[in-house]
Amino acid sequence: MKKLDAETYLSRFKMLVIVGIIVMIGGRIGYGIPITHAVVGMIFCIIIGLAGFALRDLLPLKIPAIGYIMLIALILTMPYLATADFLLKYLGQSKINFLGTCTPVLAYAGISIGLTVIKLAKSGWKLILVAFVVFLGTFLGSAIIAQFVLKLLGEI
Amino acid sequence: MSEKKFIEKELTRTKGRWNRHLKLHITVLAVVIICELIGVHKFSVGPGFIVLLPLLYAVILTIIITPDVLGKVFKGLKRVVSMQECELAVPLVMISLVPLAVKYGTLVGPAVPIIIKAGPAFVLQEFGNLGTIFLALPIALLLGLKRECIGATVSICREPTLAVIGESYGLDSAEGRGFFGTYITGTVLGAIFFGLLGGFGIASGLHPLALAMACGVGSASMMTASSASLATVVPEMSDKILAFAATSNLLTGVTGMYMVIFIGLPLVNKLYSVLQPKIQKGGRAK
Repeated sequence: MKKLDAETYLSRFKMLVIVGIIVMIGGRIGYGIPITHAVVGMIFCIIIGLAGFALRDLLPLKIPAIGYIMLIALILTMPYLATADFLLKYLGQSKINFLGTCTPVLAYAGISIGLTVIKLAKSGWKLILVAFVVFLGTFLGSAIIAQFVLKLLGEI
Repeated sequence: MSEKKFIEKELTRTKGRWNRHLKLHITVLAVVIICELIGVHKFSVGPGFIVLLPLLYAVILTIIITPDVLGKVFKGLKRVVSMQECELAVPLVMISLVPLAVKYGTLVGPAVPIIIKAGPAFVLQEFGNLGTIFLALPIALLLGLKRECIGATVSICREPTLAVIGESYGLDSAEGRGFFGTYITGTVLGAIFFGLLGGFGIASGLHPLALAMACGVGSASMMTASSASLATVVPEMSDKILAFAATSNLLTGVTGMYMVIFIGLPLVNKLYSVLQPKIQKGGRAK
């Protein structure tokens, strides 16, 4: 059995509190959500987050912590479970806004890209071109499979 | 992996490092406040629209203030955001993804019954999302990109992929750069491009309902733009088109991250190792 390192988890907890405060301030400014409305939901976020890190560190599967974290939130808010109404009361869009949780992530991400920004600028136009092919790929891939299966099922 | 954890532990340690932490977190807080004050802006362009979101301003603004960009011009800026703050930001991306991932889970959790009812056609077309790899990886290799290909083509690179690439490679890696190319392009221009695809898609001869399912790519703005255009072109089926697109979009929301973890990432790495030496014969692999 693997062990969890107390110091790492204490750091993660501190960092989660800081991030939580930033998200709540952003939510107040951008989406008009009073911090007192968001704070319970944010505590749930931190608990689920630490649980996700623990699952990644303890289980032998190669799944990122974020995969566990999303899965925990997904399962707990399935309408079959009694936890769904309770959690959604504190984590709904009127308490913690989805877009608001994205802004700090991209701010940290932008700063971390600072380490590699010169290389990013070099391949910039190629990456934009590739992005459009990526969009075309997912659209055509899904459409072709859907066409085939719908035909097979006699639905079209 | 163990090496990475050691780095995270060293970097996020607060003892004797509060100064560094303060600079980074206060910079991020200031950026978040500015970006949220600017708010969401949306413009109609042709069949789609351009969406400007606070997260977009945040990534642009923070890239600009890093040492190799504006820090080169204004030396004083380096005293606040130096390369050391950039390093500390790497594990903080992963931490800050926690509220986002929880929110994402709570958005798709309530949709699980719809997905269970959706039927085999909906589930199977999810695998079509791997089309990004088959179509775009060879082209990215032809353009001379190296490991950037992995992040750029593994999926359409929405937030769940950000989490997976960030945790597997770090966003400061070549894979991370590739991811960001597709992510940013999609954020700014995705709705316009999908608006065009939805409108012109009918010329492919595929059935409107198959195209409607394809509109659900796992991004609300891209799905809205493409399905609205498609519904305009085929007005007699518009209700069904919008419903099919929305359902497929929800399904991608649930499966997207796991598709990347279990199929997309292994597949793109495998395909890269096979195709890279063949396509980039002249260029030496790094």
